[in-house]
Amino acid sequence: MSVAGIVEIIAFASSAFIAVAGALGMATTMSMFRSAIFLMASFMGVAGLFILLSADLLGLLQILMYIGGMLVMALFMVLFMPDPGGAMMAAMPEMMTPIGRFFSLGLLPENSHAAAAEMSGAHAEHDTHADHGGGHGTHARHQDAEHQRGRERKEGDDAHGGGDHHAHGAQGGSHGMGHMDMSDMSMVTPVRAWAAWLAVATGCVIVGLLVLRPSWPVSSALPDPRSADQVGSLLMDKYMVGFEAAGFLILIGIVGAVLAAHSGQHPDHRDREARVAVNAPPPPIEADFLEPLSQPLRDDDKCSPAPDGGHANHHAGGEGPT
Amino acid sequence: MIVPLTAYLVVGAILFAIAVYTVVAQRSAVMVLMGIELLLNAVGLNIVAFWRFVRPDDYSAQIFTIFIITIGAVEMAIGLGIMMMIYRQRRTVQVDKFTELRG
Repeated sequence: MSVAGIVEIIAFASSAFIAVAGALGMATTMSMFRSAIFLMASFMGVAGLFILLSADLLGLLQILMYIGGMLVMALFMVLFMPDPGGAMMAAMPEMMTPIGRFFSLGLLPENSHAAAAEMSGAHAEHDTHADHGGGHGTHARHQDAEHQRGRERKEGDDAHGGGDHHAHGAQGGSHGMGHMDMSDMSMVTPVRAWAAWLAVATGCVIVGLLVLRPSWPVSSALPDPRSADQVGSLLMDKYMVGFEAAGFLILIGIVGAVLAAHSGQHPDHRDREARVAVNAPPPPIEADFLEPLSQPLRDDDKCSPAPDGGHANHHAGGEGPT
Repeated sequence: MIVPLTAYLVVGAILFAIAVYTVVAQRSAVMVLMGIELLLNAVGLNIVAFWRFVRPDDYSAQIFTIFIITIGAVEMAIGLGIMMMIYRQRRTVQVDKFTELRG
């Protein structure tokens, strides 16, 4: 066996290991953020396999598109989620599978008061934005994480469409109201065991079919080392219609994504009502123990309806007619 | 090529199985999207392996993989846009919370 062969085997083994281990970590870890990072590792491994298969252009595209583009989007969405770091699940490792426990090693469990207070503070910030007056948000800063969970649960019930408890009760055995708080925090559905067996069966069947099959008609021809040139000319020649259609698809996709994510197009959740910027004077501040201004701070205060708007009235009310 | 074609296909099959588990078992829609990306990736790996070993003189397979990557990107963008919309209205993107269409 030549040196090149050994190098190839080592490269294949490491790339395949990175790809499979990254995918396994993505599927089983309890932290959503960590799962995105594991997915990035898996894409890296697949890119290495592409390059090993002498498809250099695809390997580079893989890194550029998946890691540079999509994973940034995925991380952006992960930060929207409640408990993206898996702190709640890390506090109860008995609910994880062994492999999930391995990939969740080192997650900070939510057992200290500091973590709970921090989380409650983060939620209280939401509440501060959500409340109209802004003064009511401060009491939320003192509520503990247990109360917060109860609220999330309540909101989950609201999500069923106005107290549709019938649909909620029919959600499967281990998902009833009794230990709702246990299963509601985890990242997996109650059908996880079935899904695991389905995945194992799928893998075994495919691998078995691959191994038992008689050998493929492998060609001994070597691909062009400058395969990117070939791909480019083919893309502009034979597959030009498909190429243009893909461009058009991307255009439609961008417009559709912007329209879907656009705020104001659809009615928001009522909690979010106050967080959308509106063109209205803010409510007057009660008892801030500051002496009132004689002049408005900014010029755009003039744009608001001057004497009878709430804001202007507040400032003018302390000073009197000037 | 010391490493046979079957090895690449086995890697693709394992990735596919893990992605199937992810899509079925995860609750968050973001995780389901990540599983779909992994599915597309496994398919792309299979296509490229077949191209390299069976028809290395025909570069259509790479074009096909480029299209798969494109469609995956568009699907991710639209999926995340829909998810932001859903999150704004419902405050959650857990897929088993949306049971209105259940008969």
